[in-house]
Amino acid sequence: MTDTVLVIGEPDGAGLAEATLEAVGVAQKVAGPGGVVVGFVGGSDAASRAPAFASAGVGRIVLASDARLDRAPPATLARPAAAAAEGVGASVIVLGGTTFGRDLAGSLAIAFRASAANGVTEAERVPEGVKVRRPVFGGRATEERRLEGGRVVLSVRPHAFPAAHGPGVPLVAEPLPANDVPAVLLAPTRTGIAAVAQGIGPSLTDAAIVVSGGRGVRAPENFHLVDELAASLGAAVGASRAVTDAGWRPASMQVGQTGKTVSPQLYIAVGISGAVQHLIGMVSSRVIVAVNNDPTAPIFRVADYGIAADLFQIVPALTAEIRRVRGI
Amino acid sequence: MEIVVCVKPVPEAESRLRARPDGTALDPEGVKFVLTGYDESAVEQALLLKQEAAGSKVHVVALGPASRTDEVLRASLALGCDTAMAVEGNPASQDDPVAAGRGLAEAIAARGARDLVLFGKQAGDDEEGLVGGAAAEALGIPFVGFVVDLHFDAGTSRLRFGRSVERGQESWESPLPLAVGLQQAWNDPRTATLPAILRSRKAPIARHPSASAAAPTVRSVPIRFALPPPRQGAKMIEFKSPQDAAEKLVRLLREEAKVFP
Repeated sequence: MTDTVLVIGEPDGAGLAEATLEAVGVAQKVAGPGGVVVGFVGGSDAASRAPAFASAGVGRIVLASDARLDRAPPATLARPAAAAAEGVGASVIVLGGTTFGRDLAGSLAIAFRASAANGVTEAERVPEGVKVRRPVFGGRATEERRLEGGRVVLSVRPHAFPAAHGPGVPLVAEPLPANDVPAVLLAPTRTGIAAVAQGIGPSLTDAAIVVSGGRGVRAPENFHLVDELAASLGAAVGASRAVTDAGWRPASMQVGQTGKTVSPQLYIAVGISGAVQHLIGMVSSRVIVAVNNDPTAPIFRVADYGIAADLFQIVPALTAEIRRVRGI
Repeated sequence: MEIVVCVKPVPEAESRLRARPDGTALDPEGVKFVLTGYDESAVEQALLLKQEAAGSKVHVVALGPASRTDEVLRASLALGCDTAMAVEGNPASQDDPVAAGRGLAEAIAARGARDLVLFGKQAGDDEEGLVGGAAAEALGIPFVGFVVDLHFDAGTSRLRFGRSVERGQESWESPLPLAVGLQQAWNDPRTATLPAILRSRKAPIARHPSASAAAPTVRSVPIRFALPPPRQGAKMIEFKSPQDAAEKLVRLLREEAKVFP
């Protein structure tokens, strides 16, 4: 018997989110050699997103081309996606662990009568089902779980896996035969979206590099030092709670327990002391750099590299050096 | 509006974490289970909505063994919730978030009217974030997570709220019924008064029994709990000038950490 794994496509721009392509890579591994990965996309423009699956190596796509899904909650996809999985004989469903995927996974587990895990950093096929590993307690510990019973839903933590990039395959799209989402589930409606202020560069939770500023920046008019360092690296800009509470930057930029959780390849903390509140949001970053004039600041205990000096001298020098090295 | 808020007993933030001797899960010995972060925000949001919609009632529900649920239920009553219910759940799947969602849904449906069901967006311990969506689907009501700034418009009987996503903040509106997973509030949750705490000690707690003690075949089983090796602390860069510091850091990031092109 061959294993079939369904990947749920997350709409982004005209195609699919990077997290979906990361999920494809995990799905290919879980399906194993000889296994099959099938894509699923919902929404009125589902058909136009299918080619993004095909160029990542997933040719067979089930489409729920239903305009009612466009402004409905992600969880509304649970029943159509479960029906698609039944239709193609999939035992495992994989999603990117973004707000979209995390919102959908719980409802999908019930609709598909499956066990589930959100935000996994490792996934491996075992005889009983799928074994996963995931960070818990704000990155203070990791757990492994075995998802048993034949049917599994899992979302994968963004950036924890490489994205699948082909080779491309021919596209074979098929419509989902029936899409019976009850009206009550479709009632919540998205009425708008306000982009993050300074919406240039990558978004905070997608970025491979994040540069965050804290209280040590002292005043909003100094925050350009953080912005410029981020720009030199093509990084997203974040902030500590002290900065967003003071209104120097919008709350949407806050990294921490009350803000966003990020896990980039590189996190640079500028003038951030490292309160537990902040550490919870960034401690699972792969490499952490801290610049702070207090050598006893707790941030240096979790950082990999530290510079204990005046950020007003170090950060401009660092920006200049990165520009020089990158030739910009 | 009948508001149900679901809370989970979670180890206190200061707890020292260690694995059970068999290494499969957190050792609960000596750990105090309390109302934490995301759930405190959910309770606060429920109480704010109660002020906005006159005549509303807030019902707090917790799942787990009585030794853990009663503490968080009494803490919620002391903050102003009207009734409390403990759900024993299935002891065979205590650590399974989908089973927990299903158990909560059964208990909520049995309790009576529910216009709005609130959850923290995830628990502070396992961070699964699955329970709200699972319970909503089992109840047959819509679910939206990562919600901020939830308000009730009495004129239209609709809820308006934000949803904090990767690219910014979405605006949403919805009629009742609805289940939401709440982002932790930016406004600090209230604290209980001493008389309210004393009253909560004697308040009744309804108990919803476990429906089935049989271990489900579809389940999530914890098999290993591990603490990372303690971080060594940062490698501190010695330097003669800011430019020297910058050059040394960039070299380390490229050659040692290999995070930089």
